[in-house]
Parts: sequence; structure tokens; C-alpha cells
Amino acid sequence: MRSKRAILVFAAAALACSAETIVIQNATVWTMGKAGKFVGSVVITDGKIAEVGEKVMVPQGAKIIDATGQHLIPGIIDCHSHIAAEAINEGSVSVSAMVGIEDVVNPQDIDIYRALAGGVTTANVLHGSANAIGGKCEVMKMRWGKDAAGLKFEGSTPGIKFALGENPKRSGNIQPTPGAAGGRPPRYPATRMGVEDVIREAFTDAREYQKSWKDYNDKKARGEAAVEPKRDLKLEPLVEVLEGKRFVNAHSYRADEILMLLRVADEFGFKIRTLQHVLEGYKVAKEIAEHGAGASTFSDWWSYKIEAYDAIPYNAAIMAKKGVLVSLNSDSAELMRHLNTEAAKTMKYGGMTEEEALAMVTINPAKQLAIDNRVGSIETGKDADLVLYDKNPLSNFTKVQRVWIDGSQYFDRDNDVSGRAALAAKKKALEDKEKEAAARQAPPQKKDGGQRRPQ
Amino acid sequence: MKLISIAAVLVTGLAFAEAPSTVAIRNARIVTVSGPIITKGTIVLRNGLIADVGENVSVPADAWVVEGEGLTVYPGLIDGLSTLGMSVAAPAGGAAMPTGGGRAALAAAAPAAGGPPARGPEDRPMTTSWLKAADQVKTSDRRLELARNVGFTSAVSFPKSGIFAGQGAVINLAADRDADMVIVTSAGQYMTMAANSFGGGFPSSLFGTIAYIRQIYLDAERYKRVKAQYEANPRGLPRPEYDRALEGVIESPRILLPASNPIQIARMIKFAAEIKQKTILYGMFDGYRAAPMVKASGLPVLVSLKWPEKARDGDPDEEESLKTLELRDKATSTPGVLAKQGVLFGFYSDTVDQPRDMIRAVKKAMDNGLTSADALKALTLNVAQIYGVSDRLGSIEKGKIANLVITSGELLQDRPPVKMVFIDGVKYEPTAEAPAAGGAGARGGVTPQGGIN
Amino acid sequence: MNKLFGLLIAGAVITLAGANDTFVVRNVTVHPVTGPIVENTSVMVTDGKITEIGAKIVAAKTVKVVEGKGLHLYPGMINSATEVGMSEISSIRESADTNEIGDFDPQLRAAIAVNPSSEHIPVTRANGITAVMVMPATAGGGGEGRRGGAATQVIAGQAGLMHLDGWTWEEMAVTKSAAMELKFPAIAGIPARFAEMAAALGMQRTTYAESKRNYEKKLVEMHEFFERARRYQKAKTAKDTSLKADLRFEAMIPVLEGKLPVMMMVSKAKSVKDAVDFADRERIKIVIAGVDEVGDYTAVLKAKNIPVICGPTLELPNNEDDAYDQKATLPGELFKAGVKIAFGTFDVQFARNLPYQAANAVAFGLPADEALKAITINPAEIFGVADRIGSLDKGKWADMILTDGDPLEAKTNIKRMFIKGHEVDLSSKHTKLYDKYMSRQ
Repeated sequence: MRSKRAILVFAAAALACSAETIVIQNATVWTMGKAGKFVGSVVITDGKIAEVGEKVMVPQGAKIIDATGQHLIPGIIDCHSHIAAEAINEGSVSVSAMVGIEDVVNPQDIDIYRALAGGVTTANVLHGSANAIGGKCEVMKMRWGKDAAGLKFEGSTPGIKFALGENPKRSGNIQPTPGAAGGRPPRYPATRMGVEDVIREAFTDAREYQKSWKDYNDKKARGEAAVEPKRDLKLEPLVEVLEGKRFVNAHSYRADEILMLLRVADEFGFKIRTLQHVLEGYKVAKEIAEHGAGASTFSDWWSYKIEAYDAIPYNAAIMAKKGVLVSLNSDSAELMRHLNTEAAKTMKYGGMTEEEALAMVTINPAKQLAIDNRVGSIETGKDADLVLYDKNPLSNFTKVQRVWIDGSQYFDRDNDVSGRAALAAKKKALEDKEKEAAARQAPPQKKDGGQRRPQ
Repeated sequence: MKLISIAAVLVTGLAFAEAPSTVAIRNARIVTVSGPIITKGTIVLRNGLIADVGENVSVPADAWVVEGEGLTVYPGLIDGLSTLGMSVAAPAGGAAMPTGGGRAALAAAAPAAGGPPARGPEDRPMTTSWLKAADQVKTSDRRLELARNVGFTSAVSFPKSGIFAGQGAVINLAADRDADMVIVTSAGQYMTMAANSFGGGFPSSLFGTIAYIRQIYLDAERYKRVKAQYEANPRGLPRPEYDRALEGVIESPRILLPASNPIQIARMIKFAAEIKQKTILYGMFDGYRAAPMVKASGLPVLVSLKWPEKARDGDPDEEESLKTLELRDKATSTPGVLAKQGVLFGFYSDTVDQPRDMIRAVKKAMDNGLTSADALKALTLNVAQIYGVSDRLGSIEKGKIANLVITSGELLQDRPPVKMVFIDGVKYEPTAEAPAAGGAGARGGVTPQGGIN
Repeated sequence: MNKLFGLLIAGAVITLAGANDTFVVRNVTVHPVTGPIVENTSVMVTDGKITEIGAKIVAAKTVKVVEGKGLHLYPGMINSATEVGMSEISSIRESADTNEIGDFDPQLRAAIAVNPSSEHIPVTRANGITAVMVMPATAGGGGEGRRGGAATQVIAGQAGLMHLDGWTWEEMAVTKSAAMELKFPAIAGIPARFAEMAAALGMQRTTYAESKRNYEKKLVEMHEFFERARRYQKAKTAKDTSLKADLRFEAMIPVLEGKLPVMMMVSKAKSVKDAVDFADRERIKIVIAGVDEVGDYTAVLKAKNIPVICGPTLELPNNEDDAYDQKATLPGELFKAGVKIAFGTFDVQFARNLPYQAANAVAFGLPADEALKAITINPAEIFGVADRIGSLDKGKWADMILTDGDPLEAKTNIKRMFIKGHEVDLSSKHTKLYDKYMSRQ
């Protein structure tokens, strides 16, 4: 895509491109699948990977991309992101499950484009960590130029965000300024004990809600008079969690709170899908593996908060070695641009192999989000979400050359670089036009009496 | 000097109150808006209504005659979304915020302090859906005079504060008594995407507000069902709780949702369909990028006349985004684009300071692709249509309310040469504008003909 | 018999006196940085200094041998701007000592507030960094910048160049006062694009005119302070007996004499120009630090030989329409224009990732060998210690790392480290927790 200003025109062009047949030839292909890594080619038809191998059959009329010396990997999947959303936190209440990212998607957030330039093709966009039970998440593909509906990863399992530790209890620990009028009252909880309580109360309420509707429907079926319960948009996502239909992504730091959440989930009969950040996950890797939760963590963040003081860069490796499905995430519009090099750090910190490292930002997050039937590896039948690097993807010296999503090219570094002058010229033209118009107008007249009138 | 003229005004005002109600404007150029322009014709007004209009209409004997030679008559202009007639406290923080929805509305309509922060949708935060502008409008609002001076005769005024701010009223910009201003008591529910600032209670985010609105409409539908069920046979059933927020929502014939850029427009179109409400979108100044989408939705829109401008006190070296530059460049083309697309749209004042600046703003749109006929329609008949009152307002047709503006030249120009307006068949002449505090409660009032200071 | 006894004694003496600081590294690939790479060679370190680099080094049998087969020897890396030792947990103010109150505090010295027991020291050096500049104040970007006197402070104090090894800060100090930190004022205010949101939140948006006035006022104050310092210096030189000692102005004397460079913390291009003009007028030696855009002033920097400490390259562009690689391309552009560059991480948490900031610049145009220089010899030169550290050269201290690859690559392991020839323990809290929890059954 030539210009970052993709409007309807470009969206239409993208649609047209998706029907193109493309062959990416002669790259080092990191399939992240059974076929491993080899020098070969990939055939894309109708947005899907049609064939991948050392030698492929080149369909007639296919567009050939010579990728000699370059490296092709599956599109990077970031399990924890806050881009492309006009709201992140509904922190006024401890349980805000009624809100959802889907309602506030901003498809024109430039961070989508910047993520593409860093090789990310799918992101799990989450509610923030201001409260113990947050809002609903949305899995998105970085289809720059499409509208909000066009970004949605169709068919992905709905998710919800939980948060443990310091963040959800921060509002409970506000000290009112002595002598100041008003000021805000603290919001429960103020301790980790309270965080557990909030979650248990919420799920108890959810169970009651489930029951009240069941009772009502039973009464109706029996022909008895009954008043319908109120629909409660806050409790319905929690009922979905109880029914196993909605994934829980839980921001967590300390080992004790990680364990607490696993046990609460056990108590209510559901599974935690992923623990996010989970910086002390290495201390309870055993319990996490037994429960079956995935872990999505930082490569090497630590010491910024006291609950991050025991964070170690070996976290991912330890958990992986102890049988946990581990991915690396960004939680940052900046970090998401180089998840490949973040992954490389696990080779130093814990001895992961190249493939194990890259898996943490490709097939592993795909599995965590249950979208691995569609993305996460370069295998026939999957979506053609691919990233071409000019060097080894785990090298700090590499950069992204091209990105495809659903077989359409969404990023091309050469086009980006060559388009910069045109963008600057376009802006200058508009700025000059505005300056001229301002110069032509007489200086602003003082209004009669000069007073402003409020509306 | 001033004291004498005020006295004179009051005297002539009183004198005028007994003037005959039959008026004939003869030999004028008549722009009906609903039909072709009548180059030379006559309009007869009686009992506050248009009794007759046409080329060959005869002047009744009892009519007071206005010689229309060299004059043009238009339907009185209508401000599509306004606070005219209402007393409005200056918003916190100084300058009024343009309503374009999105971030601008966040906390722009901050609720009154006091009371515990809302714990959730059940506390009905930032909701006064039962408030009616019809109960609040006053003829003493000084701004009415300024609006009349440039040709406005009606407005659709709304309470503005909160997520569900209340129900607007279609009003005339003058009357003997406050209540007589009202043409329609409930024109629609004014809504914003307001949210509390951090620490102020639920909701404190855009998606919190959206979730709240969604919950309200679910509750409203249930409320109707449960009430009906109870009415049919109350025995054995718990009685429904009285919820005036839901009552206000239910009695609103339509809603107004904010949407300026294409993301918001798409979002609100989808949302309107989800909550199944008849919706008007307001804001729209980068609607030029979304005209086909708006047309396909079938929703009418109100375009703000507060065109985006470069901040005067900003850093001259600051880099602004291409998006911002393009918006400022193209915003005034939105009405023309919407018109070509066949979207039903009207104009509204938003935070435009002075009514005459509204006309200037319309002029800018006319310089950018909007025909003068479409411009006029967007200030008259379209607004009436959007609010379902086109059978009685918005054009010069027999039987409609006698709201007219008479000029000595083209109305839509930088200094509209307004000679007089008629509201409910009563004539008002423009005044020399004196500075005064805005809102109702200031001294002054209706300025009848002859009141030049 | 006597001779044998004598040799034994001599041997014992040699083994005892600086036994750890004398050793030879064998069969290693040496990256001197100041010269071409030499494969399969040896390096002799005697009493903590590099005494010989060559293939045919003969060392006494008692000298400890460090096996370097298949490995690489690099100079220890130097991070040109950090808070290491001055901040433990950035969200807890009690654990941080940066950002003192007061607009002009040249007398403050970061070196003496460095906590030698900070966990950040072993953690940072484990990735190959042997020396860091410890800044008295953060460059204002992160949360730390809101604490203490950060908002209005101009001269923050003296930054210290510290080795990441030593029982006390005194032992750690390479140069207790290596640079004066000056946070160059900027025209503040909320950019127009945030105006809507700011107004909605009730924030008062200062007009540009007002911000500009405040900025100019600040510059005037700065010139006045320098003038007062100069008058003090003159009086002192003239041995004016009525002169009362003033620690602030005492601290300014090396700056006025051009002996102590001033690290000008700036970020915007316009501030670069103003900082250079200020330096010209005050006749002081400066280093531009933290900048993320230089605009049209690269030539000026080159002409006046002003080096630049580049801010982190792994950062988002400033404005929506800026090139996505804006921060990463700046170092390469500066280098091509002939400006001497170094890198700093300007924080504590990611001080260990210094080489990756440099590597990112390589991906976007900086030659790889220049990137390595920018984290070794260049900062040594900028801070006046190139005679002691910054490269593997005879006569310099043995600040060295033994690696299994290029330290700019993430997967490279730092096998061993020496600071002033003393082998440094590369374990840390992180490695200990790793061992502990790997062993949990």
C-alpha cells in the first residue's frame, strides 16, 4: 500500500488485491510448523496459503516476489495491546464487564500502521488494568485502511480482561486530601484480598443471574405468571465465562495472586485462558501448567513497580520448560514493533532455540487465542498472513520489508520510504493554502461591544 | 437618550399588540423553498398562519400592507440544534466546546457536583431524559433578538447537559408568553457521549457511556413490557418500579447522536440500528468523507456550522497531522457533498458565537460546492422535515405557520440585509445589537417594529 | 637452592599481589574498536591494565589463563545516560534520588548518591556494560520526571561516570564529575491536537505566546546565573578576601573554564539551535543529549564539533505523519553528517539494553562498526577518559567482555567480564532466581 492515508479507495484496491495469486520465491521460510525451516517458496491464492515447500508449482499469471536472501515468517501475533481503541479503561467501578473494545475501535490509529511496519498482523486488543474485572477484548488483524468492522478477526473467541495486583487496588488507596471539599471516595478494593473478593462476588452474582433467568424461563414454560428479570450487560459476559464461551485474559504479577486466580477459577468451574504479564509466573509454573492456562509475558521488563521487582528475563524460558504455553507480548505501541527481537532475548535468557523463540510471537499466541486454525504458521490452508524480513528475523539488524494479511500486501517499506516526499509536499501545499487564505482575510474585527455570548 | 427610546419602544410595543392580524406583503419576490420562486407575488397572513400565497393573490381590505417592491421573502430560518430560549450556564473551563461527539464531548457537559459517584448503569448517571426544553424556554433570552436580526424565526432547542440531556422543543423565537413559543413539545432526546472525568463515577470512558446507553434501551424495552403485563393483570405480580429516566427515554420520538468523523459516523449508524431508535446524527463536519455511508443508512443529519479552525494561540512551528490539515481544508465542502449524495441534512449553530456568524459559515459552504438553493433548504424545510414538522413549518405554503424573513437582497450573504421577520404573523424589525449577558433573565424582551435605539 | 627459594617467593609475591588482575586471554578474536578485528590472538593484562595484544604472547606459567577459543573479546560497553544506582523501583519515590529541588543546582553530585548495592548494577553489567554515566536528573520523559523539582529545574548537577564494580561509590567512580547536566528549557504547552481533549478535561492550555514568554524568561535567568558564576570566578582568581564561598559557583568554575562539558538535555530541533547559541554566548563546551530530532542543525553540530548522545532509538515517532523509523534513522544521519555520536538509555530499567538501541540504528542506516564505537570509544572520548577505557589498547584498563558473538545481537551471551582487570561476577538476582525456580520440582 503506497500511502498511509488509506481511504475507501485503497480499501477497494486491497479487496481487489486479495484475489491475486502471489508466489514468494526463494526465501528462508520459517514455517513454525512440522515442516520446520528451509529455503523455499510460498504460493498464495485467494488470501490463503495454497502451497509451501522447497519447490512449488508456480500458477500461471501469478505475481512473483523474489525473496532471495530474505526471511519469511508467519505474521506476528501480539497477545496484549491497547492500540486502535478510543477508550482503554472503565475504571470507575471494580467490575466493568459491560464495556467492550468493539464499541470504540479506531481503525485510523496510526499505531496500526506502525505495528505492521514491525511485522504484527494480529493483535488482541484489551481493556486496561484499572479494575479486577475489566471489559471485553477484541482480536483484530492490522488491516490498515479498512473500517472498524473490517479490522475484526472474524470468528475469534470473545475474551474479557481481568487484572490483579497493584493496578486494580490503586483507586482503593487514594488518600483524600485533608481539609479539601469533596474529592473522590476510595473505590473498593484496596488490597489483594479485596481483589479476590471482587472476582468471587462477581461470579456469585453471575451464577445468581443465570439462575434467575433459568427460573423465569421454567416458569414461563409451565405457563405461570412471572416478571422477566432485567438483562444485565455486566453479568452476561461473566455467564459466558462460566459457560466456557468467553476467554479470560488476566493481568497478573505476583505468584500468590496468580495462584489465587487459578483456584477461584477452579472454584467456579472455568479455566483462565491466559495470564498476562505474569512476571512471577516462573515461581508457580507448575500450577499454571496443571491448570492449563497460557502465559503471555514481557521479555525483560522489571523493577518499574514493586510487584515487578522479582521479574526476571528468564520467566518465559522457565515457564516454557515447565510445560506452559508461553507467548511474548508488548502492552505497548512501541514494543509491538519489535516483538521479533524481544523473542530473540529468550535465547540468551534461558537457552531457547531460534524456533522456540520465534514460536513465542507466532504459533504460541495463535494457540492461546484459539486462532491457530487460521494463523500462526505458514501451512497450507491457513490465512496468508506473512512477514518478509531482509535478514534473520531474530537479528537486531533486521527490518521488515513487506507484510501481507489475507494475501493482500499491507506494508511495503520501499513504498513507505518513497512516499514520504509526496506526503510532505501534500502537507506543505495545504499549509501554504491556509497561510495564503489567512493573509488575504482582513484581521479579525472586534465584535460590537466585544463580549462573548455563551450558547 | 436610551431611557426615552426604551419608553418609546414599550409604548409602541403596547400599541402594536392591538394591531390587526391580517398582513399582506405585496409585489415581492417570494422564495417559497417548497416550489419555484415567485418573481412577483403576494402573501397574506391571518391569525398567525399563511392564508394565501401566489402571483395573483388579492390583498384583503382589512390587511395591513407591506410594500414588497424590491424585497425578497423567504421562510424564516430554523436553527436545527440550539439553546436559544434556554438559560445556559457557561461551561466549566471557559470556552464552549464544539459538540462533535467523541473526545470533545467527554466531560464537556459535566454533571452538577454533589451526590455520590454512580456505581453503574442502575444509578442512571448523567441522565435527565425527562427534562423538557418546552418547560424552560423564555422569551426574555437576549440572544433571540440577535437570531431574529439575521433572519431566524425558529429553533429546535435542547437541554444540553449529560448523556441523556433531555427533550428538545421546536420553538418560535418570539411570542407574547413563554409557553406560546412552543411548536412541538418533544422533538427528540439530545444525547452526547459525555463521561465523567477520572474519579467521578460511572461512566468514565467512551465505551462506558455506550454500554450505559445500550443498557438503558434494554431496560426501556423491558419497562414497557413489564408495565403492559402489569396493566393487563396485576394480581400476583410485583409492581414495576417507577423509573423517570426510562419514561423520558420512551416519550422521545427520536434521538440525536453525535458523530463527526467517519469512524464516529459508522459507529453511531451501527449503534442506532442496534438500539432501534429513530436517529439524527449531529456534528458531521468531516462528513465529506462518509457521504455514501450516511446516504445508505437513511439517517438525516445536522451539520455543525462551527467549521474547524486553526488555533490562534498555538505554536506556529507545531506540526499538525495531514488529517487535521485536510479536515480544515475540506470541512466546508461537507454540505455540498451531502447534498449531491441526496442526504437529508440541516444546519445548526453549535458553538458559533453570533447568529450572523452562522450565515457567514453557510456562505463558506456555498463557496465550496453547496448551491444557494440547497443552503436555504438546509436552514428551513430540511430542518422541519428532520423533526417531522414540515407540514407546518419550513416553507411558504398556504396553511403553514406565518414565519418569514424579508430582505432587501440576497439573504445568504455576509451581512444579511434583513428588513423584518414575521413570527406567528407578528412583525419584528432588526435592532442595533447592544452587548448584553446571554441567556434568559436579562432585561429586554420582544422588540417590536420601530424600536431602533 | 637460594635461587629456587627466591623464585618461589617471587612467584608467591606475584600470585598474591594483584593476582586476579594479571592474566592472559588466549585464542580469542579481539575487537579493539580503534583498529581492525584480530582473530585468534592473545591479550595480556597486568595489574589491571592491557599490556600486550598479539598472537605470540609469552606469559609465566603462574599467570592465570582465560580460554578464549571460539569466543570474542570486546571493550566493555559504556552507557552515556542512566539512573543506575540512583533509582531502584521507579514508581516508588523513596527508592529514587534523581531530580532534586531547585532551578540551579550545579553543586549536586550524582556519584555520591549511587548505591553500590543496587540490584541494577549486577543486572546491567550482566549484559556487557562496564561503565555508566549516572545522571542527577531524568531527561523529563518518564514518570520520574514529575518528582522533586523536575518541572522547572535547569542545572541538575554533576553526572558521574561509574564502573559497575566496586565496594563503594568511590571505588566505582571513573570520574566523579564527568559532565554537568543542564536540562535545556523548552516551549511548553499542550499541542493544538490535544487542545480539545485538554479543554474537556478542564486543563488550562497555555497559549503559545505565554509559553514563549516563559521560555525566554528562563533563558534570561540562565544567562544571569552564568554571569553571577563568572563574577564569582573572577573574584576568586583575584583572591578577593571578602568573597564568601559559594558551593554552587565553585561547581560552575570547571564549566566556565571549559574543562567540564555540559550535557544539554534537549529533545526538539529548535532547542538544539538555542542550546548551541547559548553555549556560544557563554563560551562553554557542550554535548547535546537525549535529542530525538535535530532538524536542520546537523551542520552546526559538525562545524562546532559538538557530540550527540542519542536518545533511545526504540521509540515511537513524535508526530502522526512522521516516518515510522524516525528515531532509528537519526543516529545514522548524524554519523553521515560527521557528528560524533554515543548512545544512552536515559533510564534505569533498560540500561542493560544499550547495545540493542545501537543495533536498531544499524538496521536503519548506521554502520555496524560505528554503532559499536558509539557505545565504547566515543563516550570515552566525549567524557575525557579515552586514555583509560573505551577500547582494547595497550595501556588502557582491562574493561573487557568475553562473548560468544556480537554483543549487539540479543542472543549473544556475555561469558565473562573484567573491569580494571578484575573479573566481575555476572550473576545477579535474576540468575539466582532462575536457578532457584528451575530447581523447583
